[in-house]
Amino acid sequence: MKNCLSLVLAAALASAALPATANEVINVAIIGEPDTLDPMVSTKDVVSIVTQHVVETLYTFDSSWAVAPLLAEDLPTIADDGKTYDIKLREGISFSDGSAMDSADVVASLQRWLKVASRGKVVADKVKSVTAKGMYEIEIKMSSPYAPLLSLLAFSNSAAAIYPEEILPQGDGQIAEVVGTGPYKYGEHVPDQYLQLVRFDGFVPRDEPANGGSGKRGQVPDEIRFVPVPDPNTRVEGLLSGQFDFADSLPAESYDRVASSDKAKPVLLEPFGWPIWAINHKAGLLSNQKIRQALLTALPFDDMLFAAFGNDKFFKVDGAMYPQGWAWNTDAGTELYDQNDPDNAGELLEEAGYDGTPLRILTSRQYEFHYKMAEVAKQALEAAGFKVQMDVVDWATLGQRRDDPSLWDIYISHSPFLPEPALTDMWFASSRVGWSEPEKDKLADAFVSETDPEKRKAIFAELQKKNYEDVGFIKVGNFNALLGEAKSLEGVDPSPWPYFWNAAKK
Amino acid sequence: MRNYILKRLFGMVVVVFLVLTIAFVLVRLAPGDPAALMLGPDATPAETAALRARLGLDQPILVQYATFIGHALRGDLGRSLFFDQPVLSVLAHRAEPTTFLALFSLMFAVVIAVPIGIFVAYRRGTVADQTAVSAAMLAASVPSFWTGLILQRWFATDLGWFPASGYGGPEASYLDRMGYLILPSIVLGIVNSALILRFSRASMLDVLGEDFIRTARSKGMSEARVVLRHALKNAAIPIVTVIGLTFALLVSGAVVTERVFNIPGMGNLVVGAVLRRDYPVIQGTLIVVATLYILVNLAVDLLYLLIDRRVRY
Repeated sequence: MKNCLSLVLAAALASAALPATANEVINVAIIGEPDTLDPMVSTKDVVSIVTQHVVETLYTFDSSWAVAPLLAEDLPTIADDGKTYDIKLREGISFSDGSAMDSADVVASLQRWLKVASRGKVVADKVKSVTAKGMYEIEIKMSSPYAPLLSLLAFSNSAAAIYPEEILPQGDGQIAEVVGTGPYKYGEHVPDQYLQLVRFDGFVPRDEPANGGSGKRGQVPDEIRFVPVPDPNTRVEGLLSGQFDFADSLPAESYDRVASSDKAKPVLLEPFGWPIWAINHKAGLLSNQKIRQALLTALPFDDMLFAAFGNDKFFKVDGAMYPQGWAWNTDAGTELYDQNDPDNAGELLEEAGYDGTPLRILTSRQYEFHYKMAEVAKQALEAAGFKVQMDVVDWATLGQRRDDPSLWDIYISHSPFLPEPALTDMWFASSRVGWSEPEKDKLADAFVSETDPEKRKAIFAELQKKNYEDVGFIKVGNFNALLGEAKSLEGVDPSPWPYFWNAAKK
Repeated sequence: MRNYILKRLFGMVVVVFLVLTIAFVLVRLAPGDPAALMLGPDATPAETAALRARLGLDQPILVQYATFIGHALRGDLGRSLFFDQPVLSVLAHRAEPTTFLALFSLMFAVVIAVPIGIFVAYRRGTVADQTAVSAAMLAASVPSFWTGLILQRWFATDLGWFPASGYGGPEASYLDRMGYLILPSIVLGIVNSALILRFSRASMLDVLGEDFIRTARSKGMSEARVVLRHALKNAAIPIVTVIGLTFALLVSGAVVTERVFNIPGMGNLVVGAVLRRDYPVIQGTLIVVATLYILVNLAVDLLYLLIDRRVRY
């Protein structure tokens, strides 16, 4: 009996030491289970990270975030008036169900995107028609020029994904089984345990060399396995023990430990994104411009960022809406950033006739850095004369409450730096925050209608300046994200939406 | 006896119905919108409203309740809003890791705690007794997430003896999957052994002071026979009770340990369901857990019949 127990224990220990996987499998720890495998209906990053390996869009972004063709043969031919896009499609492309992709699939997919996707709906009222012009060519006609269209078509989030026409549901229903043209197809999916992507043998890569998301998608690993690991410390231990080849979104405190590991290394995504203070323009205290200006004047952005991230390796005090190195970077209006001037803020409050109504900050501890920056801001705002009410709820409640303008003055969120400013909806009066001001609205319209890149940059500088003057919404600063990868892994470009089709183990 | 069991089973139906109603009300009292969570941060209010309508969450609360009860009576606990699968199927999938985790950790706890509890009760007041009582207090005081993190770091990350987390991939055999449960079982076993040890010790101390033990000794019986045959048999009822309740608690989801080791069991499921406001899964889990508690209690009560012939129902 004793021998028998020893044998069982030895076998269990041996088999448990680490799962036996072939070298060609890349194990990726993600922050949770994707809500859906259809990226058209979700704006969640975890959905984009997984699904971009399976479904593709007409366009994508290269390493400098410029739009590049993917299923389209090349960039479109745009008529002089900016209203007609002629898009030639690649020939010989198959979906993973074996059917061939043609213009009928593309037209049907784009029509669904305009109807059900958040980002598709943004442009839907400007699209007059999407029509096939033969087997491998489509035409998009707009009612007015709309410069961000290509960026919207390229984004993997609320994506203009191309599906076989046959699988698209009527109405706003869900796709029963998602298939795409990407380098991988869905294998076994055990919810909360793993999602297996296996190589799609009928995939046809582009000929150009890999460049960010564009160019050749190499299908290097046989299999990519996404493992939902909601606890950040568990992702760290899994990475350091060699269980995962890549781990998304690690806690900043783990940087030194990952850096000193002999199995893994930290990947700092610098800069990753920006914490946002969304301001309620529809109702309440902050519908008064002077009080908004007092808010901006009082906030100590450097202290807030330090409290939130603890180490300047993970943040930068920067008022520009886009960091240096991006085409959209400008310092217009940034002299109003990080004033931290309680006296001036107090005077503005007095001018506004502030009556002590509490400023309601809606935040969540699900993202601890949101809460920490709100705590620091509260002190500064109270010093300036604001009465502050912190409404700390879980993320689900925040998601519900922010849809009711009577319940909040500020809610705290964050975003990665998106490749095109128009992808941030808060610039537009139709967004949840409802920022509408005649001059700004005119600028926003001009920004999306203008097709000349240089002129668009100039308009964006005006928009940024306006955002500081009128306090449309608040960018707290830049923050970096920490990811981790095995030292043996190569071929993964740092990205907010990392992809693994060119990843290999040494 | 048969009447007793039938009476208990009838009581179970009443309790489950109450749990059903309380679960329905409680999850809806909590603020938060599953539709907003499912659609992501950039969803518009109109999209959220459309999804709420598709999920039936826009219906009046009484209509939702009537639908829920009607389906539950037919054995249908609804469909998970997040996984888009029947709740029973979602729960069934999580039952395997949780049940094995509960069994392994309970075995670990019982094998360690019961013999030590008996031994230190017999050697009351000695260094061994004081050491065991202190160790039990320590084990009960240290939070399981801390023990979990430490063991994970030592035995998985540093030594590589066990996987750090999860429950295996597609190629994992049954034995592989059991390997993933060793560390979390030890963590839960340590926590629960403290409780079982203290119960075993206290129960044995009570019995060892009884007259019939003195009588047994005066008859010249060996100490081993006195302790193991006479004392243990009489001390067993509270020990079995605490083991039964511990098992029910473990099967209902070792929430923290499953989270730390990323075990796809009931505990992890229910945490995720609460965060995602997956109402049908929360309700389904509560019903299953309540039923399980009642059944385990019934099983423990019936076990008394085997342990002590004097017990009659």
